[in-house]
Amino acid sequence: MLQVYLPIAEMSVNLLVMLGLGAAVGFLSGMFGVGGGFLLTPFLIFSGISAPIAVATGANQIVATSVSGALAQWRRNNIDFRMGTVLIAGGVAGAFIGVLLLKVLREAGQAGLIISLTYVALLGTIGTLMLAESIRAIRRARAGRPPSGRRPGQHNWVHGLPLKMRFPRSRLYISAIPPLVIGWVVGLLTAFLGVGGGFIMVPAMIYLLRMPTNIVIGTSTFQIIFVTAVVTILHASINNSLDVVLALMLAAGGVMGGQFGVRAGQKLRGEQLRALLALLVLGVAVRLFLDLVLKPEDLYTITPLLRGA
Amino acid sequence: MRILLSLAAILPAMAMAHAAERPPSDEVVSDISTREIAIKSNFAGIEILIFGSIDFSARSVPERGTYDVVVVIRAPGQALVARRKQRVAGIWVNGPGETYPDVPGFYAVLSTRPLRAITSAETLESLGVGLGNLDFGTRMKDDPEEENYRSAVIDLKERQRLFQEDDDGVTFIGRSLFRASVDLPANVPIGRYTADVYLFRDGKVVSENQSTLRVNKVGFERLVYLLASRYPFIYGLIAVVIAVIAGLIGWVAFRRE
Repeated sequence: MLQVYLPIAEMSVNLLVMLGLGAAVGFLSGMFGVGGGFLLTPFLIFSGISAPIAVATGANQIVATSVSGALAQWRRNNIDFRMGTVLIAGGVAGAFIGVLLLKVLREAGQAGLIISLTYVALLGTIGTLMLAESIRAIRRARAGRPPSGRRPGQHNWVHGLPLKMRFPRSRLYISAIPPLVIGWVVGLLTAFLGVGGGFIMVPAMIYLLRMPTNIVIGTSTFQIIFVTAVVTILHASINNSLDVVLALMLAAGGVMGGQFGVRAGQKLRGEQLRALLALLVLGVAVRLFLDLVLKPEDLYTITPLLRGA
Repeated sequence: MRILLSLAAILPAMAMAHAAERPPSDEVVSDISTREIAIKSNFAGIEILIFGSIDFSARSVPERGTYDVVVVIRAPGQALVARRKQRVAGIWVNGPGETYPDVPGFYAVLSTRPLRAITSAETLESLGVGLGNLDFGTRMKDDPEEENYRSAVIDLKERQRLFQEDDDGVTFIGRSLFRASVDLPANVPIGRYTADVYLFRDGKVVSENQSTLRVNKVGFERLVYLLASRYPFIYGLIAVVIAVIAGLIGWVAFRRE
């Protein structure tokens, strides 16, 4: 009952399951203040959607979340548009490479494997780092010591590069190369994994570019809108892997879930939230890893031969 | 019922046309309950009915003999790759595979009795009837490795209900009427399907008849499918616009200011 046919994935899914999945990811991203792409794409893969379709549809879903997020940040004047534009330029270049890479891997029958491996490496590393950091923070809070504020130095190697640009909103005068490279890496990840890439971009902007923290979130969300939009269109055009019916169901669920998540998040302390998120991220990584190392029930797979292959 | 009646009307004509070229023989006629299947957003599979009758009017005295009916439903072929996973450094990786240029998107064989009881393996092979007799567009090599891939394709398709074999799927109603029902699952491919009905008498094909059905996406499903395959750029752009609107709605509806 309530089966909905996905015209591009060419399969039937349960409407309530997909709405629930969108709501759950929306809830988690509202609660933790993250984009949620790194949860949505693996969850779609777990529910039987093929990896390339999960990636393209995940990217499309992030367009919606980042639009609401960026509008809220824009109202608070937290977006450095100049920096955002440089990040987008890098991101679009990275997106092209990522989409083409996925096409080549898909034709070789290795897309699912490489996507899973990249997720395991990325989520495993980030989850471990976050868990270690939040446990330290929880211990510190229990011991009654104030959280240690890391004070970044005024200059690092980034400031010695050429092509300097002025970024008045961030009060920076730095080379355009580091933001271009950061944008490029994030664009590649967006195209390849269906994530927004905030979890890479935010630390990179804080620690490498030394941008003011309040502007970092707004600027990265601004970049994510455009890069995920370009990735969506590229995947649709080059890989034919975007399922708009699936995206609609996920977006409807996501909008609802997000609001409850924000409220739930306000009831928890920051370090507890981070520990929970870290456990969730590690859980997804472990599940993906097990799927790779456990003997599959079916050694054989069949896939339609793609055009041009 | 109307179809049956109209068939009954043209039967004698058909029988006479055949009588000119062959010695008097039995004729089989058949049709499908649904000639057009529409895949809409609530499509969760459909059961189709193939029915028909054997016309004995060509002979004055019905001869004795064992009659069997075999129904073969087939969707257009697709090219696909079968791959086998192998362990590389502890991880299961897709190995090189076999490419099959013409694998039916759907294939069902229904019969009154097990195929091997109806006729010889040679007859089945020459007709290309039965899962074991599909050639998938490549000549069968005597290679056990290739044979594994071939049977894996059949096995996987059977589990997706896209290949079916039912050896009592055809039932006779009385002496000349028969019916067979097939479940088309939700994942059936679109295209023009054929339903071939073979009439066997004592292990020999005495008559065959073909009817067709179309499986199409309709309405919203069709629009999305056509847009995505013909104008993928515009399709992507629309998806982005929808997402932006969803984001705006989310922001307007739930902003806390």
